Amino acid sequence: MSKSLLVISRQAPWSGPGAREALDIALAGGAFDLPIGLLFLDDGVFQLSSAQQPATLQQKDLSANLQALPMFGVEALYVSQRSLAERGLQDQPSSLAVERLDDSSISALIDRYDQVITL
Amino acid sequence: MTTLNVEGRSLALDKDGYLLDLADWSEATAQALAQREGISLSAEHWEILWLVRSFYDEFQLSPANRPLIKFIAVKIGAEKGNSLNLNRLFNGAPAKLAAKLAGLPKPTNCL
Amino acid sequence: MATLHVLSHSPFTDSRLSSCLRILGSQDALLLCGDAVYALQDGSAQRQALELMPESIALYALDEDVQARGLVFPARLTLVDYPGFVALSCQYDKVNTWL
Repeated sequence: MSKSLLVISRQAPWSGPGAREALDIALAGGAFDLPIGLLFLDDGVFQLSSAQQPATLQQKDLSANLQALPMFGVEALYVSQRSLAERGLQDQPSSLAVERLDDSSISALIDRYDQVITL
Repeated sequence: MTTLNVEGRSLALDKDGYLLDLADWSEATAQALAQREGISLSAEHWEILWLVRSFYDEFQLSPANRPLIKFIAVKIGAEKGNSLNLNRLFNGAPAKLAAKLAGLPKPTNCL
Repeated sequence: MATLHVLSHSPFTDSRLSSCLRILGSQDALLLCGDAVYALQDGSAQRQALELMPESIALYALDEDVQARGLVFPARLTLVDYPGFVALSCQYDKVNTWL
């Protein structure tokens, strides 16, 4: 039985390589059939904004890549309710079907996985 | 640098035979790329190539085998979207070869 | 399933420590190294937050990083060296390094 891995993505999409690296780990894990979860925390929740226009910064479209997660078998997708609320995003539509979790549910989520990596 | 001659134009390929400039792709280019791999493109191949291109359009990345199979199965059914069928069509390496013939970058999440 | 959370960034420049404290499980532990040990700075809100953690949560810091910065640490803190760091990593079910 493969070990399950929770990837915690907490960088904004345009601040550096962190957001893309977290996504690449999740996609690679999914491609190899590992049980993968992905949690958006802190500034990572900005990745879910559906109003992004990445071409403006001449960067690859991270939000389009995010949509591929279910195709890679990564369907356990979560976001911190608190991180959304802190940023005034609680009512914003998300570009991805993610489950909103409060702090204690996140703690329980981390507990359920064999391994965790935070980027 | 490797080049591929298609209809009088010389197109640049990377060391693995993928198009360097995605805009160079055309149906004639696909035929020429397939020839290099010893494949003669049938209607079955084309159906998959167009789907791989639509995967790239939608997600901005080339699929690894697993998502490729899943995507094909979702779009046109599991009779075609399964590893047996795709391995048969693309010499046992569907993700790499389909991306190559469809003029897309090499999939990054593939061994 | 207890997790050892490893922090190495200053808690005064980003939110790793505060986010970590919010999602810490009751049997989890915190290991501070690098600039994260500045969280021990006396009189800071971060130090206070650490002191207010439930007793069940163990608090560790890398000895040399604390000594180098001349910090006065709270009684509940356990100082560890690198072999101690490794031992802790094995002792907990998993390690979550906040990169």
